[in-house]
Amino acid sequence: MKRTAVHLLMAGAVSLLLTGCGKKEAEKPAEQPAAPAPAVNPETAGVITGKVTLSGTPPKMMIIRMGAEPACEKEHKQPVHAEDVVVGTDSALENVVVYIKSGLGNYSYPTPSEPVKLDQIGCMYVPHVVAMMAGQQLEVLNSDPVTHNIHPLPKDNREWNESQPPNSAPIIKEFSRPELSIPVKCNIHPWMKAYICVFNHPYFAVTGTDGTFTIKNVPPGTYTVAAWQEKYGTQETQVTVGAKETKTVDFTFKAQ
Amino acid sequence: MAAQLPPPDDPITSRSLARPLLVAGLLLLAVLGWAIYQEEIGLRPWRGYQRRFAQAYAAYLEKRLAERRRAEQQLHASPEYQRLRATVEALRRTTEEQDRRLEQQMNLVEEQRSALLSTFQTARSYVGALTYEYEEIPDTPAYRKEKQERFRRLQQALAEKHRILWPLGNGRTEIRYLNYDQLNAQFNALLEEKARLMEERGRVDQPLKDAEAKLAAFEAQKLPGLSAAQLQGLLERVRNLDLKIRQVYVNPPGRALNYLGGGMIVDRCQSCHLGTDASLVPPGLTLTKADLGMANSHDAPFASHPEPELLRIHPVERFGCATCHGGNGWALDSVRTAHGRYPHWLWPLYYPENFQAGCQTCHSADAYTEFATVLNRGRYLYRVKGCIGCHKYQGFDDQADQLTDVQRLIRELEREKQHNIEEAARLNRLGDQAPDNATAQRYYAQAAALTLRNSQIDTRMDVLDRQAHDLFLEVKRVGPSLKEIRLKLQRDWIPYWLEHTHEFDPNAQMPQFRLQPEEVRAIAAFIWQDALKGPALPHQPAGDPARGRQLLYERGCLACHSVGEGTQRIGGDFAANLSREGEKANYDYLVRWIYNPHLRTAPYCPYEHRDLTPEDYARHGLPFVFDAEHSRCPNDGHELEFEEPTVMPSFRLSWQDARDIASLLMTQKHPNARYAPAPYMDDPKLFAEGRALVRFYGCAGCHEIAGLEDEGRIGTELTTEGSKPLDRLDFGFLLTSAKRGILPDGSRSPRGPWYDLKGFFDAKLRQPNVFDRQRYLPNPRDRLHMPTPALSTEDINALTSFLLGSVDTSTIPPEYLYRPTDARRAIQQGWWIITKYNCIGCHQIGVGQHTVLEALPQYQGENRANLPPILTFEGARVNPDWLKKFLANPALSTTDTNRNGVRTYLQVRMPTFFLSDDEIRILVSFFQALASQPQQFIPPVLKPLTPAEVRMAREIFVSPAAPCLKCHMTGNPAHDRTASAPNFLIARERLQPDWTRRWMIAPASMAPGTAMPSNLFRFENGRWVFNGPLPPDLKNYPGDQVDLLVRYMFQLTPQEQQALAGRTPAGTASRSSR
Repeated sequence: MKRTAVHLLMAGAVSLLLTGCGKKEAEKPAEQPAAPAPAVNPETAGVITGKVTLSGTPPKMMIIRMGAEPACEKEHKQPVHAEDVVVGTDSALENVVVYIKSGLGNYSYPTPSEPVKLDQIGCMYVPHVVAMMAGQQLEVLNSDPVTHNIHPLPKDNREWNESQPPNSAPIIKEFSRPELSIPVKCNIHPWMKAYICVFNHPYFAVTGTDGTFTIKNVPPGTYTVAAWQEKYGTQETQVTVGAKETKTVDFTFKAQ
Repeated sequence: MAAQLPPPDDPITSRSLARPLLVAGLLLLAVLGWAIYQEEIGLRPWRGYQRRFAQAYAAYLEKRLAERRRAEQQLHASPEYQRLRATVEALRRTTEEQDRRLEQQMNLVEEQRSALLSTFQTARSYVGALTYEYEEIPDTPAYRKEKQERFRRLQQALAEKHRILWPLGNGRTEIRYLNYDQLNAQFNALLEEKARLMEERGRVDQPLKDAEAKLAAFEAQKLPGLSAAQLQGLLERVRNLDLKIRQVYVNPPGRALNYLGGGMIVDRCQSCHLGTDASLVPPGLTLTKADLGMANSHDAPFASHPEPELLRIHPVERFGCATCHGGNGWALDSVRTAHGRYPHWLWPLYYPENFQAGCQTCHSADAYTEFATVLNRGRYLYRVKGCIGCHKYQGFDDQADQLTDVQRLIRELEREKQHNIEEAARLNRLGDQAPDNATAQRYYAQAAALTLRNSQIDTRMDVLDRQAHDLFLEVKRVGPSLKEIRLKLQRDWIPYWLEHTHEFDPNAQMPQFRLQPEEVRAIAAFIWQDALKGPALPHQPAGDPARGRQLLYERGCLACHSVGEGTQRIGGDFAANLSREGEKANYDYLVRWIYNPHLRTAPYCPYEHRDLTPEDYARHGLPFVFDAEHSRCPNDGHELEFEEPTVMPSFRLSWQDARDIASLLMTQKHPNARYAPAPYMDDPKLFAEGRALVRFYGCAGCHEIAGLEDEGRIGTELTTEGSKPLDRLDFGFLLTSAKRGILPDGSRSPRGPWYDLKGFFDAKLRQPNVFDRQRYLPNPRDRLHMPTPALSTEDINALTSFLLGSVDTSTIPPEYLYRPTDARRAIQQGWWIITKYNCIGCHQIGVGQHTVLEALPQYQGENRANLPPILTFEGARVNPDWLKKFLANPALSTTDTNRNGVRTYLQVRMPTFFLSDDEIRILVSFFQALASQPQQFIPPVLKPLTPAEVRMAREIFVSPAAPCLKCHMTGNPAHDRTASAPNFLIARERLQPDWTRRWMIAPASMAPGTAMPSNLFRFENGRWVFNGPLPPDLKNYPGDQVDLLVRYMFQLTPQEQQALAGRTPAGTASRSSR
């Protein structure tokens, strides 16, 4: 009897203590939404520019025979070569995508309202390599008198495959996730091939016939800049851009 | 009475009780405080959870609501929305006017009806009563007078005029006098008028409704998800959240749920797990801890269910939560009790990595359960790793048992037949010697009856033999036949393999036995001496390893086999790794095996219990030929085991192909691999001991071994292992450390004590003899002898999940068990065959399921087009009769077999599986059911084409804008080399028109990644039209052009096909080197 009473008393004391400290630490308020990322200040922004070249003997490209599609064959006066490696004068390497791979801070980039164009001329994709921002529109045109199908084979984005008859309206599409090199093919004309590179920022460029590129409006900072070529893969380099500075970065791929 | 003075030491005056009273009072107060605390929080922790949830969720909803409002405002400002909105407004205005007019008319009709109603009803009842009274009187002279009187009264009632205050609208009325018939007519007219007005209103409102629907659809399409109004509603609900126990209560009458025999589900999990309550978090919303700002909290059970689809199939109202997840659905007082993690609760909550065990409880008849990847892997491993060789599990590979039953029956019938023959002979003799004709005839009749009985037995035996024939095709053993090892293997490699199984191949299917050196010698010697010694294999010339490598990669071997070691390993784990094949194999045997793995050195006669020899055949003047067509024993006429019991199919390769691949495999070995000579292998003294050991270790559970063909499984049946009471599992001397959470390797168990079924299964699978620790067991035979399977941590977890879910289902109400009787049964049965032959190594069949091939480097990017077809819709795509033929012979030819029958352009080969008729039937039904097709197939009859239609269809096919024949095969070998789609010529026999039609319109939605482009047709004026410049004839064709092409394809003759092929520029290789 006595013992029970003692227990009761003890329980009471303990419970008093418990009520005192039983309240768990107050729930933290819901995490505040991050402030919207600032836009890049064009006043201080710099430029990255440069040239991509190929060292060594350029590989010989296969000749594409379009006998299966006479309408396209007619379009070409000269033999058409595959575009895996396109080298211009002074070893300039065309169709290389140069882009900032990492080092970008937390900025917001407006998605360009201007669509990126991919045309089909003489059963070839023009341009052969397309770079664009995620969410930007891709406008696929068919300038040929034959039906094509456009079949991108992405890993991270959604896949689609649509046919486009001659004289039809452009196909408008967008890719919502960044992805380096989505191969595009036409199942009807197996030689047709293009690549689409999608970025979540606007710091990319595709080298032209002279092998040069320019990336503008780069906020000051240190970046890893990468160059991707469909056959030779990716090269990277570090570059620091100061305020209003123009930095030159050159890449050289080795012919294999 | 004198005043009595208190005694001098009266405690009331001398001692104060204030202090004890104060203490007692304080204690009482404290207890009260404690009771209130317990009432509010201590015993009801869910209140705290509900408050926290409501607070955080409301904040989240507010944020979402603000975003949504912004988005909606933006959308509402868009011109497209404005336009639609304006249409709605305009229509609403015009409609309103008409609606008002109609409304007035309807109101008037309603007023008139009510004015009429009571008078009419009274009159009707009165007339009805009078009619009955009139009818009731018999029509006889005695009653004539009364009848006439009643007739008069009835007529009077019918003619009587009733006064009606008839509304005319706008409050005006007039008085009308109507007799019964007029009342009736007026009443019916009003009803008709009302119906007419309702219909008119529907017609008037329709354009507005359509416009509104269009607006809503536009909004839903542009801004999917919950609308601002819906979010607002949710927010209100959450702000006013009623703190209460949220309980699911299911009580099917007379049933026992939750294994307790108590008969109900009482499930209160949602009292804390509020995010799973669809009334708070609707399916359109996904709620994570991060959404609530509790990403790093370990105490925030608020996420919505991660698989809403699963929850839709298994509604909480019917299943509760603990039925699938385990735990104690009643408990509310603490997380520990609610999750059932305390002694004596037999069904603790499954740990997250094992939660799919819950699926197995009801889905134990499935070989493959959608959504349950881990569980499916467990089931797969149970078979592939050979668990089934020792441990029976209901539903898994019971064909061997069936075969034993059939054979026992055959033997019994044979004995009965023999007995009948002897008995008939005896009776006939008795008849011959009978004293009189009557007796003789009785004997003769008895003998004749026995002969007849034997004919019956023969009939029965034919059926059994056919069954045995099918079963011999269906019975597969996990391991290779040991009868062949003398021809197949290098002698000295065998003892090494037995002792160092997982050193040779760390992923071997064969588990590692813990054998003493002398046991290894005895077992190796026995199986070597026990194996067949001949007839010798033909000698094979050497092949080309380089070409062999190409074939190995191209034909699809890697869907089951792997190559490369360690991190270099690629391919499937359904069959052996091939990277050290050259160290163990005999080339001649390997060639035969690759050519056709079903070829056997000698047939086994189960009736005679021995392998037959050429002499057995020669004695009956027969050649030594045994296959599906020559499957009867020459000695006794019963079915033989005529082929190797392996699941490996034949790839229909040429002998040269087989030699090339075998030559490659013979080069697959470690440099300087050499094995110690094992001359004891031929020592006959080891034979008997080896045989005893082979039986002891249960080798015959997986391997076919001469003389031990009928050995049973040696392990425990595991069908209900997950229901085993914990005290029946022997933790041995690890019991204490299991309870204290110390793992066998000495480390701390991350989840604390592991004295539970999961702990036992995990430890046992990792190291099967772990529970022998500290035990004194000098005799190796007394030790635990379950061998160690080669399993990764994930694999162990998959098997543990499978075993945890393997519970006794006898107490679960049958309607909760997944035992469908409709088309889903065909699906359930089919998956057993699909998984048995590893069809999913190559084909995607279930939605969202991945194949082994698609992960291989050679099928990445654009090469995905070279993968075998997706079969989810196979049942709708192909004609089931054709599918039967195809499954039996995927080459679709008896002569030209070294190719695919349909997609000849694919390098990967659909092999021949030697399925039994029954397996083919099940597979075809499976595919039909999977694609929602009726089991009975009636081919649709297509409208014949007119000559004009034939011409138009042909024009589409050959028009430069239509790319059909660019990709599809035409039969022209030069063209077909680069083709990437099947020939239209076989469409008629192979395909179903409805599927073909849907395929042409939207291929990407049926086979994501297909080379067939979408948008080939556009919908215009209620029909599908070819999307491209039309040939002139077609411009005026009024019909559906997809339909036209389907009809054309299904009536395509070879002549027409030739005409087509001739008009396409074929034979022009697309790409060639300079």
